[in-house]
Order: sequence, then C-alpha cells, then structure tokens
Amino acid sequence: MAKAKKLPKVFDYKKHEDPFAKGVAFCAGCPLELLLRFIPQVLGNDIVITGTPSCSAPVLLGQNIGSWHKLAYYGTLMTGAAANATGLVRYYNRAGIENTVVCFNGDGTAADIGFGNLSGAAERNEKFIYICYDNEGYMNTGIQKSSTTPYGAKTSTTPVGKETSGKSNRSKNLPLLMAMHKIPYCATATMSHMEDLAKKLLKAKELKNEGFCYLHVFCPCPTGWGVAADMSIELCRTAVKTNYFPLWEAYKGNFCLTNEVKKPKPLADYIKMTKKFAHFSEKDLDMLQRDVDYSYALLSHITGLGKECAL
Amino acid sequence: MLEVRFHGRGGQGAVTASRILATAFVSTGRYGASFPMFGFERRGAPITAFGRFGDEPIRLKTQIYTPDVLVVLDSSQKDSPAVWNGLNRDGALVLNSRQVIKEQKTKNLKKACYINAMGISMEEIGMDMPNSCILGAFAAVTGVIGIDAIIAALADYFQGKKLDANVKCAKRGYDEAEIIEF
Amino acid sequence: MSINPTESAQVKVITGNAAAAIGATLCRPDVVAAYPITPQTEIIEKLSEFHAQGILDAEMITVEGENSAMNAVTAASVAGGRVFTATSSWGLVFMYDAILAAAGTRAPVVMVNVNREPPGIMAVSSGQQDMICTRDSGWIFIVAEDSQEILDMVIMAYRLAEDHDIQLPVMVHYDGFYLSYMAERVEIPTDRDVDEYLSVLKGQPQRPRLIPGKSLGVVTHGILEGYVELRYKHCMALQRAKQKFDQINMDFNRRFGRAYDGQVETYRSDDADIVLVGSGSMCGTVKTVIDQKREEGIKAGLVRLRMYRPFPEERLIETLKGKKVVGVIDRSLCFGFKGGPMYTEIKSLSSELGGGRLLSFIDGLANTDITTAHIEKIIDACLSASNGASCNDVTWVCYEG
Repeated sequence: MAKAKKLPKVFDYKKHEDPFAKGVAFCAGCPLELLLRFIPQVLGNDIVITGTPSCSAPVLLGQNIGSWHKLAYYGTLMTGAAANATGLVRYYNRAGIENTVVCFNGDGTAADIGFGNLSGAAERNEKFIYICYDNEGYMNTGIQKSSTTPYGAKTSTTPVGKETSGKSNRSKNLPLLMAMHKIPYCATATMSHMEDLAKKLLKAKELKNEGFCYLHVFCPCPTGWGVAADMSIELCRTAVKTNYFPLWEAYKGNFCLTNEVKKPKPLADYIKMTKKFAHFSEKDLDMLQRDVDYSYALLSHITGLGKECAL
Repeated sequence: MLEVRFHGRGGQGAVTASRILATAFVSTGRYGASFPMFGFERRGAPITAFGRFGDEPIRLKTQIYTPDVLVVLDSSQKDSPAVWNGLNRDGALVLNSRQVIKEQKTKNLKKACYINAMGISMEEIGMDMPNSCILGAFAAVTGVIGIDAIIAALADYFQGKKLDANVKCAKRGYDEAEIIEF
Repeated sequence: MSINPTESAQVKVITGNAAAAIGATLCRPDVVAAYPITPQTEIIEKLSEFHAQGILDAEMITVEGENSAMNAVTAASVAGGRVFTATSSWGLVFMYDAILAAAGTRAPVVMVNVNREPPGIMAVSSGQQDMICTRDSGWIFIVAEDSQEILDMVIMAYRLAEDHDIQLPVMVHYDGFYLSYMAERVEIPTDRDVDEYLSVLKGQPQRPRLIPGKSLGVVTHGILEGYVELRYKHCMALQRAKQKFDQINMDFNRRFGRAYDGQVETYRSDDADIVLVGSGSMCGTVKTVIDQKREEGIKAGLVRLRMYRPFPEERLIETLKGKKVVGVIDRSLCFGFKGGPMYTEIKSLSSELGGGRLLSFIDGLANTDITTAHIEKIIDACLSASNGASCNDVTWVCYEG
C-alpha cells in the first residue's frame, strides 16, 4: 500500500468544516474564495460574518430565502460595515452571548466609503475582527480604482491613453494606518502564506477579547488584473518576495515582520506578471519602486524598534 | 396668562430664570412654558428668553411679541429699544439696577421694580449671577406667584451651598425690591 | 437607579429634548448610539448623564457619525436588542442609506428626529423638511405637538415598532427650537407603569434574532418575486400600523390617563365649516386661534396629523369629508409641486372629500414664527374662500408676511 502523502502544515489549522457550498460564484482562481472558505475552517463555523455589496456578496449573501453557506451572516452597507459589526458585538457582549464577529470587507469599503466608520470602530476599540481583502480596486463593479490601487495601475477609472497613464497618485498604506489606532492586533497576510494567515486569524480571535483586530489580506483579482487563473497564488508569493506586500504584525503595538525577506527580488518581477502594469515605462517602475521602498523603510524602522515600541 | 420676556447677557442665567419661574408655577399646580430666543449664545452677548405662565395649559408656541412683564438682568440694557419693544398695556419692568429710576419710560409701563441683583448676588453667591434675586423681585412686583414657590423651585436647579446662597438672593430680591407705580 | 422608581408619576418642568431622553430611558434600551447635532444634542447629553449615573443601563456607543449611529443600532436590533438613537436634519439625511436598510430589514429601531431644515441652505433652524426628505423611507413616522407627547410617543413607539404584527422602525418627530428647547410641564410616568405597558410585547411570538451558531442570514439578494414579496409584506405591515397605533393609544390612555386619539387629533372640527390641517408644535397656536375665532362666530377647527407615515387616509377622509374649505399648513416644501407636501398628499384624496376647496399654506420655514396673526390670516383666507371669493391655491405665508 502506498504511504499516505504527508499534508502541509496548513492543514493542521483547518480544524472545522467548510460551511460553503461547492461551485459558488467566484471567478476561477480567485484567492478571495480560498480566503473565505479558510476563515471558518480556522476560526469555527460559529462566527458571525458580515459582508457588503462586493465580490463576496453573491456568495456571502443569500438569494431570496436561499444561502450558499451555513454561517450566521449579516449583509451590511458598504458605508456602515464596521458600525453594523459594532452594534452586533455590543449587544452580544451585553447579553452574555459568546461571539466572534468577523467584519469581512473589500478595500473599497475599508479604505474608501467605509473608512470613517472603520476608523471609528477601531478608535472605540470594538471587540471584533475586521478583515480587509485587498484586491486593490472595485472589482465587482468592473475594476475601478480605490485608494489602495497602486501608483500607475490601469483600471477602468484610471485608464491608459494619450493623456493618462494609469493611476496618477500613490495608494494609502491602510494596514499601517489601522495600526496607528493603537489596537491590540493589526497584521498583513496573503494567500501564498497560509500558515502565517492561519496564525494571524487565531491571534485575532484571541485578542478581539481585548479590542479591535485588523487583518489586511493581499488578495489579487486574476480577472481584473489580467492574471491567469492558475497564477494568483504565485502572484501573492511574488508580491511578498519583492517587498511589494510585506508580511508583518503589530501585536499589542509591538511591530515585527512575520516573514522577513532577506534579499528582495526586483519589483519588475512582480510588475511583469499582470496586465495592469503592462504599459509601465522605466519611469513608472521607478516611481512604484520608490513607493514600495518608502513603505518598507518605514516598516523596517518601526519593526526595528523591537520591544521598545509596545502599547 | 402672563407673557414675560427676559433680557440679559450670556452667562447671567436669563434662560435659567425663565425655567425656574416655569418650575415655580408648575409645582404649585399651574402652568409654565419657557424657551430661549433662537440664536447662538456667546458669553456677554445679549440673550432673550420667553416665558408664559398661568392657570391654564399653555398651548401657544410662538415667540412673545407683546410681553406683560420685562425682566432685565443687565442694567446696561435698560434703554435698549429691543428690550422695550412691544411692552403690553399695564406692563411691568423688573430691572437689575443699583438705582431707582423714577421716569416712566413708556406709557405702557404701569409698574417698575428695581433691585440691585448684582450687588446682592456678589454678596451672597460671590459672583454676579442676578437671576435668583431678580425672580424674588418679580414675585414682589407682579404678585402672580409667591416667593415660597420660587424658593422651592430653586432646588431643582441648585444644590448644597449654591442652593442656600440662591435662596438668600431670591428672598432678598423679594424683600428689597423697590417698586414704583405709574 | 432609574428614572421614576416611585409609586406615582412625577410632574417636572423639562425641555422636549429631556422628555425624549427620559422616555427612551424608561423603556430600558439595550444599545444606544449617540452623535451630537443641534438641536438634538441635549438628548444625548442627558442619556450620557443617565448612563454615567447608572440610571440608564445600556451599551452607549459614541459613534463617529450619524450614518454609523443608525448602522450600529440596526445591527444591535437584528441581534435581538432594544435600541435607541436620536438625530436631526443633516444627520438624518447622512444616515439615509442606513435608515432604508433598517426599514427593509424590518428592524424595530426607535429614533427621535428633532426637525430642522436639512442641507441645501445652511440653516440652524426649525422646519419639517427633514421629515419630508425621508417620508418614503418605509419607516413609521409620528409627530408630537408638545413635550408631554414627545415622552409619551417614545414609549408608544416601542410598543408599535416591536409589535409582532408590525416589526418596523419608528421615528418620533418634533420641532427643533420650538419644542427641543422649550421647558414645560411634563408628567413622568413610573418605571413600573412603563414596564407593564411594554410587557405586552413579551407575550407575543418573538422575532428571529441573528446569533452565533445559527444558520440565519440577515439581508439577502431579493430576486424577482422574492423581492416583491418582501416589499409587499412591508407595505402590508405599514397599513396594519394605523389601527395598531390607534389601539396602542387607547391602551396608553387606560394605563396613563392621557388620551391621544391615535392617527389624528381633531380639535373642534366636527361641526366646523373650515378645517385647518397641520402637525407639530404650531398646532398649539392654531388651537388658541380657533378658540378665539369661535367666539367671533366662525366655525373653524383643526385636524392634527399625529401619524404621518403610514398616511392616515381613512381618518383624514372621515374628518375632512364634506368640509367647505380645508386649509393645509405645511412647515416644508414639496419641490416640483406648487403646494406643500401634506397638502399635495391630501389633495390626492380629493375625490373622496366631497368637493370642498383645498388650500395650501406654507409657513414656519427656518424658524419664521407661525404667529397667531398668521393663523388668523389663514383662517380668514379660508373663510373668504368658503364664501366663494377667489383665493390662491397656494400661499407662502412666511414669505408674504
């Protein structure tokens, strides 16, 4: 008899059932599907998950009286997601109902239209987990720019033409911004480093008993970015290896890299993988490289502070 | 029903005065409705408040255009046209003033009452807060409400030493008011 | 500690805002969201004070904006809690998507809205335009005339919103400045009486709650007939709310001794030839002028709208049918129509009103005072119209002076 193949360590974290039906309406190769299935497998099927109109809506929200999953969920407005989650968790805690509320939103909600209430909930230190899946744009409505879309990227509202050449300004560093709310836990994660993601989910579950936990997950959109369906995970890995998307956490205000890249690859390796940068000139690449370097320099200084910096 | 207009400056307690009076009427089984003139309040700026008081429920919700009584908490306002505008026939004035003014400012003025509310409040409370004192004088000149009712109402607005001091002010306002009839 | 743990109602002189805060506190909400806006701010200050003193035992969420206030209370309501928040004008329209969501989600949220002119022109003054802006939100709207009614309506709002047959959010409106800051005589009921009045709800089937571990979703995509079914049910619930409100008012009278007559209040309108229709604080002034005109031999009366949504059409037809002239006083505008909003709505009942003249009077915008002189003028205009004189359909009383 052939020896059973040893499963990767990540399977140790998948302790619970996948509550989602098979064959749900995500694009082929969408890392968001992987993320959404993964979360309840790690955190349990008794989470209460909230979602907004977005790429996740056709799956997370039901249709008429049917649903694609077995989780307790609440369909919120983009404009009020974190406020809705606040209302749930405040009532549950007052009524003595044990809970793990996961407020699950795209970058459009988190960084743009729902940022005000995200910031408000973080400032009030509300006891839930906010997960932003960052596909750097409004994908469900046809690939429009958001404030996490990187400099130079082509989107339908920052197109490439005679007068314009993709997004003309830098993206905001949302995870670092959220860490500045002095919350118990803030971290970045991505779909090529699932163990790292699992550990962070579990830390968030633990620390949400003390207050607001924010997870920013780099979650590319193969359809929108012009990436082959089977390359989305490799894209995540390259984003990490080029320091385009560093993996870090601020655990009770103490920053550290959870995956230090000793010799980062050139950004060009990442850029060439997607169509959204196909128009890039040397100048564009240089601009984006500088942006990546700037963010990383800040991060490496903060993480370098070690124990000196803690809440 | 009596319509009263209170004039003062921000910080002198004109609005509170109108409320205390409403409380005094209501706690004695009658009716009172008081409200401030609408606008931005700034310390030192002129403030107007209104009050309607009487034996029947008060349904009118308009501002007061023809007051029966003017309660003026700041002596600097005594000649202001805004203060005297619309005073009803047989009207009364209650003025925070060190001096007694014998002049009948307008023919509608039937009774004028002068009380040194600033001086009395400085002595009793330690600051220029003329409202309780002036309410005592109001009771004296109009006779529509007893001083006891006013003193009892103060308890809804002040506590402890401050309450005692304000009670003294109200009593002295009642006792020391100088009233002139025209 | 609580509001009134004694054996009998307490009579106090309090502002409309304080009355709202006290009414809400008496109903023991679980979650309260607070964001300040003139002329509502005193409500949330009072609630915060009660909370700090242990009189209000609730989760107080000091949100960063009104949109979040509505979202937070809707979610807490959906989780099973009793909730409260308050706003006005600019805040009300800022939470517009969230108030639509609350109604569509059938969350029994109770909110007080202190009427003030909404954006369009910067104004910190009273007007009912904010209520008009949101009249199609699917909420139940109640309008109070004085501070006692404010307190009483907040209590009734919970009875109505949480009723198993209704399950809709309820907004209690009252005029900013005129009522928010007016201190007048109010009877504060006992904790026990309010608890007992609301305890009826406990005996009803309980609504579903979103709790962890339950395979229950709140908000699904409404597809085709599935969507229509939800809207239909919502509309039917709104229609049921009319009679339910009348019943709740009668029950309130039995327990607290204050009769409000339900959807509309009539004042000397039974035998009146001329009837004014209005809502809110100005109706107090109207009643005073009606008494005066009656002494002069003019048969004038008032029908006061207390429930504005659902629109009490049956009661309006019943009370206005056959009247020679109906003068509707709107404290707001109906953009795109010549007359005011309530006038336009009542006009849609024309064929059932028996052919009398219908006149629109626009007054009281932005704190322009609706004086006794204005009401006299309005009644005189209605009188001439009833005598056959020609008269404008629409008069902007606050503009013509």
